[in-house]
Amino acid sequence: MPPIDTPAVPPDPTAAAGGRRPRRGKVTHFLGQNVGLVLALVMLVAAIVLYCAVYWAETQSLPGNFELTSTVNNTMPLVLAAIGQSFVVLTRGLDLSIGGTMDLANALAAVHIHDSPGSMVLWSVIVLAIGAGLGLVNGLLVGVGRLQPILATLATLSIYQGIAIKVLPQPGGSIPPVYTSVLVNPFQPYALLYVLLVALVWYAFRRSRIGVAIFAIGNDEQSARANGIDTVRARVTSFTLSGLFAGAAGLFLAATATAGDATTGNGFTLTSIVACVLGGMNLFGGRGSGIGVIAGAFVTTMIVNILFFSNIDPLYQSFYEGLFLVVAVVLSTAIGRFLRRSR
Amino acid sequence: MSEATQTAGGVVPPAVEGIRLAKAFGGVQAVDSATFSARPGEVHALVGENGAGKSTLIKLLGGRLRPDAGEVRAAGRKVELHGADDAHALGIWTVFQELTLLPWMTVAENLLIRREPRGRLGLIDRDRMVGEADRVLTWLGIDHIDPRALIEDLSLAQRQMVEIARVIIQDPSTLLLDEPTSSLGEKEVAWLFELIQGLRADGKCIIFTSHRWNEITSIADRITIFRNGAEVGTFTEIDEDRAVTLMTGRQLEAFYPQPPARAHDRAVLEVEELAGEGLRNASLTLHASEILGVGGLAGHGHRELFFSLFGAQAHSGRIVVDGRPARIRSPRDAARLGMALVPEDRKTEGLLLPLSVRANLTLAVLPAVSSLGLIGGARERGLAQGMVDALKIRTPGLGNPVRQLSGGNQQKVLLGRWLLADSRILLLYDVTRGVDVATKHEIYELMMRLAGEGRALLYYSSDAEELAHLCHRVLVMREGRIAAELSAPGITAEDIVTAAVRESRAAD
Amino acid sequence: MAKWNAALLQPLERAGLNRDRRRILYAFLAAILLFAVGEIVHPGFASPGSIGAIVMVASFVGLVAAGQTFVVLIGGIDLSVPWVLNGASILLVTSSLGQDDRAPWALLLTLGMGAAAGLVNGVAIAFLGVPAVVMTLAMNGIMEGLTLGLSGGLTCGACASYAPPVVADAVHGSLFGIPSALVLWLVVIALVSLLLSFTTFGRRTYATGNNPHASYLAGVNVRLITILLYVLSGLFAALAGILLVGFGGQASLGMGDPYLFQSIAAVVIGGVYMLGGRGHYLGVAAGAVTLVALVSVLLAMNMPDYGRNIIYGIVILLLLLLYGREEAED
Repeated sequence: MPPIDTPAVPPDPTAAAGGRRPRRGKVTHFLGQNVGLVLALVMLVAAIVLYCAVYWAETQSLPGNFELTSTVNNTMPLVLAAIGQSFVVLTRGLDLSIGGTMDLANALAAVHIHDSPGSMVLWSVIVLAIGAGLGLVNGLLVGVGRLQPILATLATLSIYQGIAIKVLPQPGGSIPPVYTSVLVNPFQPYALLYVLLVALVWYAFRRSRIGVAIFAIGNDEQSARANGIDTVRARVTSFTLSGLFAGAAGLFLAATATAGDATTGNGFTLTSIVACVLGGMNLFGGRGSGIGVIAGAFVTTMIVNILFFSNIDPLYQSFYEGLFLVVAVVLSTAIGRFLRRSR
Repeated sequence: MSEATQTAGGVVPPAVEGIRLAKAFGGVQAVDSATFSARPGEVHALVGENGAGKSTLIKLLGGRLRPDAGEVRAAGRKVELHGADDAHALGIWTVFQELTLLPWMTVAENLLIRREPRGRLGLIDRDRMVGEADRVLTWLGIDHIDPRALIEDLSLAQRQMVEIARVIIQDPSTLLLDEPTSSLGEKEVAWLFELIQGLRADGKCIIFTSHRWNEITSIADRITIFRNGAEVGTFTEIDEDRAVTLMTGRQLEAFYPQPPARAHDRAVLEVEELAGEGLRNASLTLHASEILGVGGLAGHGHRELFFSLFGAQAHSGRIVVDGRPARIRSPRDAARLGMALVPEDRKTEGLLLPLSVRANLTLAVLPAVSSLGLIGGARERGLAQGMVDALKIRTPGLGNPVRQLSGGNQQKVLLGRWLLADSRILLLYDVTRGVDVATKHEIYELMMRLAGEGRALLYYSSDAEELAHLCHRVLVMREGRIAAELSAPGITAEDIVTAAVRESRAAD
Repeated sequence: MAKWNAALLQPLERAGLNRDRRRILYAFLAAILLFAVGEIVHPGFASPGSIGAIVMVASFVGLVAAGQTFVVLIGGIDLSVPWVLNGASILLVTSSLGQDDRAPWALLLTLGMGAAAGLVNGVAIAFLGVPAVVMTLAMNGIMEGLTLGLSGGLTCGACASYAPPVVADAVHGSLFGIPSALVLWLVVIALVSLLLSFTTFGRRTYATGNNPHASYLAGVNVRLITILLYVLSGLFAALAGILLVGFGGQASLGMGDPYLFQSIAAVVIGGVYMLGGRGHYLGVAAGAVTLVALVSVLLAMNMPDYGRNIIYGIVILLLLLLYGREEAED
């Protein structure tokens, strides 16, 4: 045993006792530890293949630029909402107020954004700030007020929705076409750039101190605290990020619809959870990948597209979505368990 | 630690001291006017029974708990430790018995948490982090642990080593280790001791608790004995018998009751080739009136054995109860066969803390106190009161939440639940852990009485001393197997530990 | 603050009012307070007729909240309430076609459907380990899709049918001068209270809610309890759907939507601990009355929709914070 100096200067490793076991490769580890992400990507590929198949059966051609563009544009709000949701899911919570925040962002955008670059930029920033602020309120209620996430955000959902309706009582307002074409260009799939941006944000989040802290409280809150992590701050941050992303989702929703409606955001509370689950996020916290969640969001949209082209009565849409959600959760749990056992 | 530099004739202040420390939890005085001091450059063992207050003292010194009274000094100066960070700033680091690793993060992430190497944009450079972790593991001689592996996928011994490594690389001047060897085999203990010796040579102060006497004597410079929340004395040289006498406050023979003579030789539980997660073909036979001990290192399949027998874990193998093959697929099946499990963690696995003493006692016998699903209040109270009297459970009333009771009385409520159900095969899993000495003695007496009544007891304890004195036979488990069987008379704690650590493969 | 609280609570504690009972009291006090406020803002608000009408409406919320209480007691939640309720109301009219002689079978079918939805929820949660939030959320979608699809978006021939007169009469009728919907609710309050407080099932429910693992190790059939509780929740949602369609005559789309928030709110106001194991239906019943009274007061004040939403949320938050404070002091 070498004398213990400062850890910065490790002594000769050959003096170490015991044989060095060969390490498993980086990729092997990654695949084994990110089953949810892998499953989400597989599911996305399967959904795309199935979509192309039903599209072919219906039109005898493959989907082209138009389909790609509209799919990406339609999915953008969900991508953002689901990523927002995933920050909270990582901490073992759920943010039910995402729909309310999106409503308010949507309403504010429709009322205030005018056809001048200044107004567009200024109000985008304001809306994002308000989104983050609403998330901060949730975070304080949960982190400092020690309320259960589901209940606190259920209550703020009601409040945020109320404010949204106050801002925009009737569907209306208008979004300048320029704004729409910058966020969700209707002719070219430029919005893919935003998807890429979200992925990069996730990449940075995963490698940031606060990201580690948020993952840590989902792993084991007590241990996180024992490791000196400020769990309250991490939790408040996770909700604030959720609100920020919900605000962005609301802007994209308004841009897609080119007009405002203070109720269209409601459904995103649920679909954002669905996208998280399909994306392999563990609802018990501490495990999951934003890349998977993005894939999950696209799968959610693709299901709707597939149902449309399979001539299934759109009235049944919720039925298939619900069924798919259950099947996906059950299967991913079963596969995860199977892989764990066989390792 | 500049103040502690040894100069010729200079007085070296103790690295860390506790002066008349006191700490109570609920009504229980865990530490009661305890004074303790350890010097730089020494290995100081803290010994005492479970519940003597060692862990609480460690937490007080490590800044995890604030004392109700008394003071903590570091390097001769009084300090106020408001949290772990305060202690860390003074160079005092702790390795806890309850590990604080994050299960779904990698070894590297856990080792370097909050001090990860950062690259561009201030983001954590994961490859460098893994490289650094790899260097640390290699340097510490535990490079069989893969820095990219998830903690969840490591063995308990490996996790313990990561936890130790994580603190070592903080370069502590004072290192507190609470039961660091409870899950370590022979090789791993050797590894740890080599590490400790290196630290000692470097002038660090190391304080550790352990139950294994030969370990303590092999490395400790001084030994402080704890009993009932306070120190009994500090020694540089002491033999085991005297130490045990001091720890328990009485002679060994008087403290541990004699197990009753086995009246029958009738097998009530026969287990063949029991296998499942963490269990590999364990076989055993338990007789009526027998106290069969189960020992071994933590994390070697005891829990799995007990939970499998009680139907709470999937398993394969043959289980025969009273000569009839039994299929035990749930605790209900087991209870119907007259089996009972008293788990180690009574607060999370045993009791329903906010519910009343009465409700906790009768939970397993509800059908007996009800008709058509309606609970008969008088009948229920009668049964519960009878058990409270029989076990001398100290409670303000039957309707009080069981949370209000002391640890020992809570444990008795749990035992009482199964005695009401008239269970004949009792699986007792580390039931004396965290119980004060007086109640512990009562539990021993109760065990003897139950065995005397013809009940069969399968008894796991993390304290080898208890097993050696209380059991007719002791099975030592290793890696999910029954590795050795020892028979009374003449079992010693040393025999059990030796059998447990021998040939432990976990270090490879 | 803590001292002040303690001084106030001690006499209550001595009078046998532990926290759980105190919360029931709070819920009742809140209801009374609201009626008083209502009377001030809008004279006549606290007249017997007005109170009767409010309690009548509250009975629908109360029934749904009974089911919600069951699952919340084991730390679960039932988000499938809206479309189980809505599906039930539509199933009743389409299967009975508004004819009395078909009514018994239609009622059985409808209640059976509610129970079946709950059964699926329970089985998936208990055996497949699907989180309750996800499972009941999915079930809500499944019921919505099925209801919409099978009724063609409520355009089917039978969809315009009225509730069978016998059902409508029963709901509108009265017994000893008490509206029969209310009588039914009182019976439900009595039965649910009995079930929770005095039966082995109730005892096991509380045990499971406090600590499912410990209960399992004590021989409680946790899975069976879980399934039964979700079945009860489904049943009560369906029952509320039947009453609502009997009350209003016809079924409509989206009629179940308000009941999710309201049932959870009633449970919260009633002092049931959302993580399970503590709480009583009496408090929830009072919570339902409080909630409906609150809405009525706000309506009497001509509060627009959005204002109601906001005040709803704020009231829930305040109560949660208040209860949370109490929790921390124990």
